[in-house]
Amino acid sequence: MASAPSKLYADDVSVLVVLLDTNPFFWSSFAFPFSKFLSHFLSFLNSILVLNQLNQVVVIATGCNSCDYIYDSSMATSPSIESGRMPALCSDLLQKLEEFVTRDEHLGKQDSLGPTTSSLLSGSLSMALCYIQRIFRSGPLHPQPRILCLQGSSDGPEQYVAIMNAIFSAQRSMVPIDSCYIGSNNSAFLQQASYITGGVYQKPQQLDGLFQYLLTVFATDLHSRTFLQLPKSVGVDFRASCFCHKKTIDMGYICSVCLSIFCKHHKKCSTCGSVFGQAHADVASASNLKRKTPET
Amino acid sequence: MNSASRGRMPQVKIIAKNFMDMVASLPAMKLDKLYENAFICGAILRSLPPLAKKYVIQMLYIDVPITAKSMEEWVFPDGSSMHRVAIDRLIKLRIFTDTADRRRETTYRINPTFQTNLQKLLTLGEVLPREPMPSDITVRLPSLEDLEVYALEQWECFLLQLINSAQAERPSNISSSMMRILQRGLLSQREKGAPRLTESVFQFLLMDTNAQLWYIIREYISNSEERDVDPADLISFLLELSCHVTGKAYNSNTLTEIQKSWIKDLTDLGLVKLQQGMNESWFIPTKLATNLSVCLTDSSSRKQGFVVVETNFRLYAYSTSKLHCEILRLFSRIEYQLPNLIVGAITKESLYNAFENGIAAEQIITFLQQNSHPRVAERMPSIPENVTDQIRLWESDLNRVEMTPAHYYDEFPSRDVFEAACDYAREWNGLLWEDSKTMRLVVKAEIHMHMREHLRRQK
Repeated sequence: MASAPSKLYADDVSVLVVLLDTNPFFWSSFAFPFSKFLSHFLSFLNSILVLNQLNQVVVIATGCNSCDYIYDSSMATSPSIESGRMPALCSDLLQKLEEFVTRDEHLGKQDSLGPTTSSLLSGSLSMALCYIQRIFRSGPLHPQPRILCLQGSSDGPEQYVAIMNAIFSAQRSMVPIDSCYIGSNNSAFLQQASYITGGVYQKPQQLDGLFQYLLTVFATDLHSRTFLQLPKSVGVDFRASCFCHKKTIDMGYICSVCLSIFCKHHKKCSTCGSVFGQAHADVASASNLKRKTPET
Repeated sequence: MNSASRGRMPQVKIIAKNFMDMVASLPAMKLDKLYENAFICGAILRSLPPLAKKYVIQMLYIDVPITAKSMEEWVFPDGSSMHRVAIDRLIKLRIFTDTADRRRETTYRINPTFQTNLQKLLTLGEVLPREPMPSDITVRLPSLEDLEVYALEQWECFLLQLINSAQAERPSNISSSMMRILQRGLLSQREKGAPRLTESVFQFLLMDTNAQLWYIIREYISNSEERDVDPADLISFLLELSCHVTGKAYNSNTLTEIQKSWIKDLTDLGLVKLQQGMNESWFIPTKLATNLSVCLTDSSSRKQGFVVVETNFRLYAYSTSKLHCEILRLFSRIEYQLPNLIVGAITKESLYNAFENGIAAEQIITFLQQNSHPRVAERMPSIPENVTDQIRLWESDLNRVEMTPAHYYDEFPSRDVFEAACDYAREWNGLLWEDSKTMRLVVKAEIHMHMREHLRRQK
């Protein structure tokens, strides 16, 4: 029946939250200059906005010590050409980005722990999800959100739990996380994030053609994804990090109560406080005994 | 009553065709000329179906022709119909050109003018057709809210005039000849007296503003030739207008003479607002104008609802608009009107009136649902079920009786003759009713002649 109220949004209206890696340790040692990367990135943002008037782009910068919103197209002033002949989007974003990088560097100096080389991906993922939750709550009809991680620096195993939690919450709210990883090795975190949430993970082979990669793969709206062949993941690194030393491990110990992962045997679970058996052999027999007792 | 035309879903004669369909029908040369403007390329891109947008973006930096075969591999098998629609649209708009290469394979290539302009648009950001005027000259610019109110007021005034309502207090400047052209198809001109509203006018009034606008603009364009105007120029100007920024002032001096006359017409429709300064005059596009190139599905222009329907069939409409009152009057009995409230009742008589005029129950229900007041819109269903059911029942009531011209036979000489006549009528599939006790029968009018022959032979 035609009685249902017509949809307020077309199928392909989307909100794209981009997590932009600004880690100076990565960019200073990387062969592809940040400025070139930015020009590809800005053109990509422009194309998303040109594709549909109602499309919205939010950019969150991911630094080493902090993360922050640096651009939101819904709050941007109407497009007008500034005196410097630079589009409003670029000048706004670049200015905010510069402020952010200085602030982030300042925070790093205050930190007594010394510099960390990984970016605060867990923080920016959580921020993106919060922003998306706000869109979900804005009304029964809303554009379709998705997250794009533009990551270069390597995974920080110490963020494992936080990132996994963010991934699962994205999965629950059906928000796909796309990842474009430009670093040298594959990122296990992002592979898992895209795999679990149904997004696309891609590692561009030719960074000079980054713009084409971004347009071909990551500009695809969720509606068109049901028809289009997008790159499939070849293999996903499912290895977990242990909770005790934040090391990536192949094999380890798991708490039977809360599923926390450890690289060596502990007496007590550091997460939920459950007491484990003393020795391996004893544990096996003890659990067998325990299981048997109620029946007899 | 003819059940065939009543029973089906309402036939919507007025289809708000997309603006882009009109653009696609332009001759090739005109289209290529259109693509010389970067902002028009952007507007056209936005109006494409999602998959077609994707293809354009994907091909934007590819300079070699792509074979149709390899493009088909981009989609899953079940998306092939969407793929064909997208490609078809792109070729019609001459964004893609197809050629057959030496091996007789179809290849597609993106229109070079379109390509360079879109590339520029993506790398340099939004390009505007003309610069807005500095704010120190244009002092009393209306706020965006005021502008929207103004646009809707103008539009309503125009609509009231269109349906020849006595309620239109402020005659717009649209010439009566122009008005008559726009009314074509909506009103049926009678020999004498006021023109009668046709059923399409009701369907027109129940559409949302964007769809109505489409219809009017289409009429406006299609009769431009009668006014010695090239439709292509008009279409390109309307496209250009849709690329302006809502609420900004643009100098009228930048327009040609003919464009100035169009702007005047569009002012009457509420698409732009004209203002006069000390030395200069300027036009301010409203939301109606900037929404022109947006596809129909995203009606961001949708207004807040205002109708509350209660289970006792009473209808409260929080509106000051006379047009709303006129629309409600189409299917309900208006009881009284307060400054901001129209109170009416949906009655059997008022609905029969509406059905007579060719409005379908579904249309009324959809209108009520789409315009329900935010307080009730949250509720499911927003219109009480007993009311919607009753509206549908009353409509089907009208379709309960089916009329068939027939002939009545009685006073048969014997039961044998009667039985034979019944069998004969059955053979022709024309027996409507029989009563063997009193020997009477009714047959369809079209077999009456055969029946008479048959009975004569019996004698």
